[in-house]
Amino acid sequence: MGNTIIDGLKERISNAISVNQSVGIMLPGNNYSDLTQALFEFMNSKPKTAWVYVTITNPYGSIEKKFGDMFDKGNIRFIDGISRAAGIYEINPNCVFIESPSQLEKILLEIMNAFRDLENNIQKYLVIDSLSSLLTYNDVSLVTEFFTHLSNRTKLEDIHSISLSIEEEMEENISKILYLKSNKIIKVRESFI
Amino acid sequence: MVEDGVYVYNETHEGKNVDKESGTLHEKCKTGIEELDRKLGGGIPVGNSVLMVGSSGSGKTTLSMQFLIDGARHGERGVFFTITEPLFKLIKNMENFNFYDKKLIEEGKVNIIDLRIISDRLGLDTEKYTVDDANALLDVLKDIADELNVKRLVIDSITALCYRLQSKEMIRNFIFKLGASLASTDCTTILTSEVPPNEIKYSQYGTEEFIADGIIFLGDVNRRGDIIRTLQIIKMRGTAHSRTKSAMSISSKNGIELAPLLKSRE
Repeated sequence: MGNTIIDGLKERISNAISVNQSVGIMLPGNNYSDLTQALFEFMNSKPKTAWVYVTITNPYGSIEKKFGDMFDKGNIRFIDGISRAAGIYEINPNCVFIESPSQLEKILLEIMNAFRDLENNIQKYLVIDSLSSLLTYNDVSLVTEFFTHLSNRTKLEDIHSISLSIEEEMEENISKILYLKSNKIIKVRESFI
Repeated sequence: MVEDGVYVYNETHEGKNVDKESGTLHEKCKTGIEELDRKLGGGIPVGNSVLMVGSSGSGKTTLSMQFLIDGARHGERGVFFTITEPLFKLIKNMENFNFYDKKLIEEGKVNIIDLRIISDRLGLDTEKYTVDDANALLDVLKDIADELNVKRLVIDSITALCYRLQSKEMIRNFIFKLGASLASTDCTTILTSEVPPNEIKYSQYGTEEFIADGIIFLGDVNRRGDIIRTLQIIKMRGTAHSRTKSAMSISSKNGIELAPLLKSRE
């Protein structure tokens, strides 16, 4: 059952991101684990593409523990916005640790820096995990402004983006901006997978 | 050229902008901080004296050093006069940054000079200056800049320098003499100015800003208890510049970086 869900999610992600510059994914909390599994499997299956994964939901250390075997292609770089704030002082060459998830400008800078180091002809992808987690640490208007800046920059720089949001944590204005700025919205429902 | 009340400059070649209306060529001195140069319309106009204002830890010294090192990399010799930090401590701090290049110091492309050592060699009381002492020091500063043929000069900080003068009048006279002295060179100068945190003022003695062609203010905003560093160009003669506040980051990898400050009301 688990594999069917993950394969279904992978297929939907693959179909959406191959034809759309920006994809928003809205999902219930109980599907979060399956979705991240599907995302990492998808990234691992595209070794010639470059990914920047911004995590505000789980610390990098726990992601590495769970999905570390899928980082072996060296095509995923991480930006961790929560470890430092939680007092976790890890150092890893594959991850930039931001002091606090409220330093949204620093997150923006590090995203653009991570892509700047890459060759021009490589296909670039960004994952924001997640907009709803940012709401735990920031006011709605700031997250909206952050996402607007980010969407504009990624469009200009030809970077594909996948932005996650957990339905239970979601706020109306963030949903609106996610709809407005995404070329495609995937609503995860087990019945659709 | 004025378009909708805004001066438009056309960048023609490396570091130089032409005002389409007057045809004036404004030679620019790039700071090496890409986004700051963009905000400055290409860089600091050559020969300007800029007051870099901020409280302790705001990034004045780092930004000034990055400015000198970038200049040296592009063939412009620079000098950094420090009066706030001992040389070994300053260099130790700078070694944490990727932009720091020891070779540029060793080759004399960036010269770091402790003003307290100069004062000592001149036989001055390093903690209290008389009018004559201050004038002697000023002459030495100018001689060094001339002799080394520097294009970029930093005094870190003008506040600490003035602190050694005994009266407001002496400070005022010294600052105006310093201004005249700097204006006679073709050096682009940064004078760092220390102000107390959370105060919108540009200098400790209320005079420093009057000799400056430009003011860059390094401040901060508090977001849920976290401090976000900011940078804002308050004035800059000779260039059409941005006045918006930016978020500023200091990292060992990239030194000073700027990003748009998110302004939503919290």
